[in-house]
Amino acid sequence: MTTEVGTTAPVVVRIDDLSKRFVIRKEKSLKERIVNFGRSQKFKEDFYALKHVSLDIPAGQTVGLVGHNGSGKSTLLKTIGGIIQPSSGSVQRRGQIAALLELGAGFHPDLTGRENVELNGSILGLSRQTIAASFDSIVEFSEIGDFIDTQVKFYSSGMYVRLAFAIAVHVDPDILLVDEVLAVGDEPFQLKCMAKIREFQEQGRTIVLVSHAADQIRDVCDRVIVLKHGEVIFDGDTTPGLKALKKSFS
Amino acid sequence: MTDTARQRAERLSTLPFETVGGGYRNFFSGTGHALRQLWQHRELQGLLVRRELKARYKDSSLGFLWSLIKPLTLLLVYYFAIGKVLGAEHTTPMFAILVFSGLTIWGLFSEILTTGTMSILTNAGLIKKVYVPREIFPLAAVGSALFNFAIQLGVLVIAIIAFGQFVFTWQLLYFFPAVLIVLLFGTAFAILLSALNVYLRDIQYLVDVAMMILVWASPIIYSFANVAANTNKFITSLYLLNPMTVAVIAFQRAMWLPGPTVQNELAKAHVDPATFYPADLNLRLVVLIVIGAVFLWISHRVFLRLQGNFAQEI
Repeated sequence: MTTEVGTTAPVVVRIDDLSKRFVIRKEKSLKERIVNFGRSQKFKEDFYALKHVSLDIPAGQTVGLVGHNGSGKSTLLKTIGGIIQPSSGSVQRRGQIAALLELGAGFHPDLTGRENVELNGSILGLSRQTIAASFDSIVEFSEIGDFIDTQVKFYSSGMYVRLAFAIAVHVDPDILLVDEVLAVGDEPFQLKCMAKIREFQEQGRTIVLVSHAADQIRDVCDRVIVLKHGEVIFDGDTTPGLKALKKSFS
Repeated sequence: MTDTARQRAERLSTLPFETVGGGYRNFFSGTGHALRQLWQHRELQGLLVRRELKARYKDSSLGFLWSLIKPLTLLLVYYFAIGKVLGAEHTTPMFAILVFSGLTIWGLFSEILTTGTMSILTNAGLIKKVYVPREIFPLAAVGSALFNFAIQLGVLVIAIIAFGQFVFTWQLLYFFPAVLIVLLFGTAFAILLSALNVYLRDIQYLVDVAMMILVWASPIIYSFANVAANTNKFITSLYLLNPMTVAVIAFQRAMWLPGPTVQNELAKAHVDPATFYPADLNLRLVVLIVIGAVFLWISHRVFLRLQGNFAQEI
């Protein structure tokens, strides 16, 4: 499938010479700033989370971003999502995007499941009609049942993420960014999630996935990008990619 | 490749590329771009306002009544302490309506500022994980403040009617510039301070202190006539530079001054009603609306500059 898509598919994400520098300041309050004024260089620390990353992602591809902790994969994902702005270089993309960086970000504990579906759906870019139309299907997918009218602060953590995931998969994105959120719920629910991911792939959606689970990557991805200290050290097929990842650990 | 996939690929190949997060850089078109984005997210905006309102008094049995209890308590305190004990009632007819008018419009401003300043931080979880135009958070604070304002305004109007002070005059029109000025300056400050508060957490405490001072720097608990009579010209003109002062005076001119009891008692005491507002009130209103609009635009520019690093600074 990879090659077939690869030859004709249009590029949907184009990253050109992307760098992201973080300045770590060690003081936050006015007092500390004034006291340390002039010496403030000492209290700053620069570090590059991404260094000169360039890559193209064609439509329909499922890309796994891997690397050790702090290698910059989440930063790269957030930059594609527009949550973090690049220090230099550019990210261009086209099509509807949805980011699943944390399930249930934006859930308000005091609101009911129903109200949160509306709010969270809207945050993810769904119109109210779409939410109303797919509401039943969301509830069904989440297996929440009658608890949908209970405040989400009373939900178990499993219910919480199931509802959040159910909303997220009802967004109709061309590009889906996923950050280690697939390992949620019990096993049947995980299988359901993977089935949904496969369905997304068949529909030609682009998926960019950050994961530490090599099995998962092997399972769904048709391209792997290995990052180390903010640099791309491997970009290619899954099996050699996972080997390169192993090598980067040592 | 399935059919849906092929269709999707075809559709995508016709779309133009958009640079992520780069739209704000251009000075003028950046604002336009941001406004378009805000317009696209207007539904979310409405939902966020509703969330704020719903969540605020959830699980409390009195619910929205609480948003009225606070200003009404303040009214009672001021009415007793300043109206009765200090005798402001004698020089200011219908003192209770004057104070409640002032508290109502002031409440709008102070709620926009205090909740607006905190809005980015309280929504940190969202800002770090999802991209939405970040202006919607301070704007949602403005929306929920407007809702509370509407409730208080309802009570004020009922009180005015109940005291037989409602007259239908052209002076009621002063309501609109008064509210507009509060909205322009309030929103501008909320947007600006919410962004600055991410980098400097002291802002939220500074706002609290500033509010405490500013409530006395506008003619809310006393009238403008008191100021004009008891300070020299320089202080008075300095006093009038405060946009909130002018907005409060205009609001009182719509809600309090035209009342028949007010007019009668002023006539009996040979006080010119014109002492309760500056002579050039209209000009001041126009100038402030223009300044407020420019200020709002500048704060939005600053906000767009600063918001790029929100996700990592929170």
